[in-house]
Amino acid sequence: MIIATERLSKWYGQVSGLNDVTVSVPEGITGLLGPNGAGKSTFMKLVTGQLRPSTGTVRVFGEPIWGNPAQYHKLGFCPEQDAFYDHMTGREWLEALAELHGMNADRAHAAATRALEAVDLLDAGDRKIGGYSKGMRQRVKLAQAIAHDPALLILDEPLSGMDPLMRRRTIRLIKEWARAGKTVVVSSHILHEIEAMTSNILLMHNGRIVAEGDVHQIRALIDEHPHRVWIRAQDPHAVARLLLGGDDVSSVKFAEEGVIVETAKPDAFYTRLTALAASGEAGAIEEVTSPDDNLQAVFSYLVKQ
Amino acid sequence: MSATRRMLEITLGDMLWGRRAVFMAIAAGVPVLLAVVLRVAFASGSATVVVNGSRLNTETMFGTAITLLYLRFIVPALGVYYGTSMIADEVEDKTITYLFVRPMRRGAIVLGKYLAYLVCVLAAVLPSAALVFFIMVPFANMGPLVDTFVRDLEQLAVGIAAYGSLFVLAGVTFKRPLVGGLIFVFGWEPIASALPGYVGQLTVAHYLQTGTAGMLGLVLASAAAVLLAMRTIEHREYVLEQ
Repeated sequence: MIIATERLSKWYGQVSGLNDVTVSVPEGITGLLGPNGAGKSTFMKLVTGQLRPSTGTVRVFGEPIWGNPAQYHKLGFCPEQDAFYDHMTGREWLEALAELHGMNADRAHAAATRALEAVDLLDAGDRKIGGYSKGMRQRVKLAQAIAHDPALLILDEPLSGMDPLMRRRTIRLIKEWARAGKTVVVSSHILHEIEAMTSNILLMHNGRIVAEGDVHQIRALIDEHPHRVWIRAQDPHAVARLLLGGDDVSSVKFAEEGVIVETAKPDAFYTRLTALAASGEAGAIEEVTSPDDNLQAVFSYLVKQ
Repeated sequence: MSATRRMLEITLGDMLWGRRAVFMAIAAGVPVLLAVVLRVAFASGSATVVVNGSRLNTETMFGTAITLLYLRFIVPALGVYYGTSMIADEVEDKTITYLFVRPMRRGAIVLGKYLAYLVCVLAAVLPSAALVFFIMVPFANMGPLVDTFVRDLEQLAVGIAAYGSLFVLAGVTFKRPLVGGLIFVFGWEPIASALPGYVGQLTVAHYLQTGTAGMLGLVLASAAAVLLAMRTIEHREYVLEQ
């Protein structure tokens, strides 16, 4: 097993972040699925040695991670937070972090170039990160996680804020990394995203793992609940008009700089949305996010079972 | 050591950018501007400073500038500002995550940042003090004052190291260290220095003014504070607010 936790708990004062989690993560892609506040980020911070377990153990490649910096040669982490050194260019930032892995300037430069290329940011590499769009910032964050070619990638909500085309590309990238022999743990509160990458999931709720295994088993459940998607677009009216033409969309509402779409067929809907973004028929589609209330409903159902 | 060097380089770039660089430029530039104004005013005879019935010359005023302006204000202010922010800003900005997931001891982050602080602040303050000296003291009177001037620079350098180390330790230990640091340098230090007895020994300023032994003690204490800060960050957990 790549990651193994044993009765792992984390308390923030009186608040429980993670509660008695015993789990093993195998090679390949594992999706960590749960609503906001489920404990996904706490789990990832414990697994990446940023937090010390309150009780229990966490082992990565068979060794403890807390206070064991040598482990970071094999581990790449993409955090959820949108935090950067905005005055640096993407390339400068990647090179600096690569050098912290012990690479000399030439190797760091080559590693940064490879990573920028992988996330499709080579052209923007010499621009300041402060001037990047949300999607570009997400991508450069992914690039810093892969620049040193780690065997294990921990990605916290990596698709958040990306446009549909970049989402598709990033999902493909994550699958390529797994095919190349890397282990990837990726979190999301959107089942559809996880499902596009892997069928092996860990379902989290209230700091616990409530289910693990094959994603298809909860697939039917999620389909019973309407799925809401917020789309920020250059021309929301055109997006609404074109989306309403399909039977996968139940309703469309206009909301701040975009539209909120309700769908009972997320698979078909996302496929159509990606095609729409690629065609440019409705202008640029800049960002797609999904509130987690639909997933919350599924979890409430699961917890009641 | 390479991780420390790289952290030093990254931090130097950070310190020479944005509001930090502006603060440094103001701290180093204002005394020089004041010196120019005073020198012009004195030379034209339009200004005199009288203390206890005696007119102060520019040489005496240079000594006053070193003590009151640099040692009591600029050096502690820079120490508090940069020392407390070295780690606290990374935590607040949540960029510390990127550093903590690299294969290096966390202590190297503190050491690299402290060395960057030393390089930047020494490079800003010492030339500023030297310029003030050359502007305020007439060339013909410089000879006998060179020894005192060198001693002043030593005091400044040790002060920079001492305040920086004290506040980098505060920065890795406390969540919001800036307010406490400001209270220490602008509240506690002047009050304790003015009190009779041994209370004054609980200030950095006291040791800066007690000759070679005091300054040597400060250098050792600075090294100890940095080592303690390096040890603290290794064991401390930083919970970033979502």
